[in-house]
Amino acid sequence: MFPETAQRLKAAAPLVSQTRLLKDLSRLYPHGGAFSLQSRRQISVSGCLSAKIQPPRKPREPVEIPGLEMVTYGERMHFVPGLAKPRYPRWERDYKDPRYYTAPPAQEMPLYKEKPCHVFNQRTSALEGVRQAAWLTKAKVIPGLPPHLLSLAENPENQIPDQDERVQNAIKHARFWDTTQERPRKEKYSNTLLLNLLHLCATLQSRNPAIGRRILAEDHSLAATWTRGDDLFQIRGRNGLLHTSMDPLPEVSGKDEVSQTADYVLETFYPVSPTIDLQQVNVYKEDVNCSGFTGDYPYPHAHTLYFLETTDSCKLRPEQFRAKMVMFTFGNALARAHKLYGTEPQQLLDRPVTVQAVGTNGRIFQFLVFQLNTTDLSGDDGIKNQLWLEDDVELYDFAKVRPLIKKKQVKVPAGLTGYKPEVFTKFLSLYLHGAA
Amino acid sequence: MAVSCLTRALRSLTLSQPALLSSQAVAQTKLRTQVSGTVAQCRGFLTTASLENNRTYWKEREKYTVRPIGMKKTGGRDYTGRIRTHGIGGGHKQKYRWIDFQRLRYEPNKEDKPFDEKVVEVRYDPCRSADIALVAGGNRKRWIIATEKMQAGDVIRTSAVIGRMAVAANEGDAYPLGALPVGTLVNNLEVQPGKGAEYIRAAGTSGILLRKVNGTAIVQLPSKQQIQVLETCMVTVGRVSNIDHNKRIIGKAGRNRWLGIRPSSGLWQRKGGWAGRKIKLLPPMKSYVNLPSISAN
Repeated sequence: MFPETAQRLKAAAPLVSQTRLLKDLSRLYPHGGAFSLQSRRQISVSGCLSAKIQPPRKPREPVEIPGLEMVTYGERMHFVPGLAKPRYPRWERDYKDPRYYTAPPAQEMPLYKEKPCHVFNQRTSALEGVRQAAWLTKAKVIPGLPPHLLSLAENPENQIPDQDERVQNAIKHARFWDTTQERPRKEKYSNTLLLNLLHLCATLQSRNPAIGRRILAEDHSLAATWTRGDDLFQIRGRNGLLHTSMDPLPEVSGKDEVSQTADYVLETFYPVSPTIDLQQVNVYKEDVNCSGFTGDYPYPHAHTLYFLETTDSCKLRPEQFRAKMVMFTFGNALARAHKLYGTEPQQLLDRPVTVQAVGTNGRIFQFLVFQLNTTDLSGDDGIKNQLWLEDDVELYDFAKVRPLIKKKQVKVPAGLTGYKPEVFTKFLSLYLHGAA
Repeated sequence: MAVSCLTRALRSLTLSQPALLSSQAVAQTKLRTQVSGTVAQCRGFLTTASLENNRTYWKEREKYTVRPIGMKKTGGRDYTGRIRTHGIGGGHKQKYRWIDFQRLRYEPNKEDKPFDEKVVEVRYDPCRSADIALVAGGNRKRWIIATEKMQAGDVIRTSAVIGRMAVAANEGDAYPLGALPVGTLVNNLEVQPGKGAEYIRAAGTSGILLRKVNGTAIVQLPSKQQIQVLETCMVTVGRVSNIDHNKRIIGKAGRNRWLGIRPSSGLWQRKGGWAGRKIKLLPPMKSYVNLPSISAN
């Protein structure tokens, strides 16, 4: 139709530039709709407003008869009523384009395995908390820190001059002074507080030169594999802050205590299975053990892990936070043990691997010392690992920007209140362990 | 594309000179009439809005999850967009917690064995009158309707075994009807085995197991109606939680609006039949069992 009209227009308008007319016409009919010159279609905008609503029509199901070839309108290149709709095979790009890549289903991946692996990552919130983590790591939980560790910081030689005042200044800096707004946010002040406390502890380097043989590392990826009964477990994830040193930590408990743990029975929690809340994957690499650093890193031994509470992605309750601390400390210890002694399970390690951990939310601290005595974790009996956990110690009671006033009486004054100095001594003792 | 269709059609309705053509073409009147004649012709277009809505895509999740799912409110409207149920609309936003009504759902590798589950938490559910409980067993967690005295830390049992002796059931356990003693209070009743609980789920309700008749059981529902179901249908023991739900006082119109209930019409319906005492015989017992018919030859 359009060429006929165009010819008619060309015949009727010799004076008008044809190109411009054609451009106008092409603007008017961009989709080349069919039209006739005869009648003018009526368009009505009103319809029946109260018609009966038809029930939703189900589309006709295509019938597949094997062996019978369907006659489609594919060859004719346009719809023909009565013929079947052609079905074309899926088009695959013959070159690889990373923008349009779809992953194959799990069964077709090269690393697919029938047996699932239970993975603990940094977002896992274990239902049973520390009990579940202790079962998974085959560890005996001892409440409270080992006493000889605490005596390290009681020693007046190992104390910082003006310790209390400097710690209180550090808390005030983190909670009040480190912002241009009214008060800093939780993730900011907990991070600042931790770094301030670490800086304070590091000022003792003049007296204990062994502190200089350590370095801080952030966000390293950890991977460790172990079997427990019939199931395969892996721990994968990125830690928070890690303190590594050139020398390994000395063991906390002696040989006789370690052999006594063989009598301890692990706590189970029927009817909940210990693998609850762990991510089950069928695509995984077997025997992956990575401490986060390459082989020739000068500070290979993990000393202390520092955990902060993340507020945005996954909020963990205190019990689950402690479980995460336990699992990641164990992961670091296990990766180190696998590097030193090989991946074969060993009943008793000659030199147990010790790793420490501190977790905080800016006010409340959790201290943890983990000693890996055995890598033979498949059975429930035998020598167990040891875990000293001190949970929920408050460094200070309140750090208020504005005082809390109830019924015109000041209940809690503004500023730092309720500072407890013994918590920092514990922090310092964990820091000095291995150096003093 | 819809916009260009619309503009094309509306352009055809103009009676004045089409201003789109260039000024030089205005001189050609014959050309103009021909062109306007062609321009006037246009396909008709729909004035109704699209009948598709994206209000039900949130329901189409296949994998079970414990995480609350964001819900889209319908306001009583159906797929055509018209009100099908009056008096629904507005109210506080709610997230849907997917309740597993099929209590006897085995874990993938542990078929056909009675199992225990531990109650982790009992909490309020905005989508129903009863409270819900998060139970964990084996490797999975799920939400179920909580019974009256359920508390965090309880262990509840689910079993499909029908023994010769009736089981002394604790509250919150789930058994088939054939395994329970006559006269127990039950809730979350299945009418077809394996389909999931459909009856007796509201707050404070309970049914009574009246009698057991060769392979079927007869239960009295909270409305005093009796139904006959197969004895392998699963049922939980006890009353549903939140028993004081019917004693609550709404207090003000605003609270009803917070619940998503819009005001009723207010028009006095002459033949509404709301006033006066109603004496009605119980309907006959409904049977959900396909008994073989006794045919007289």
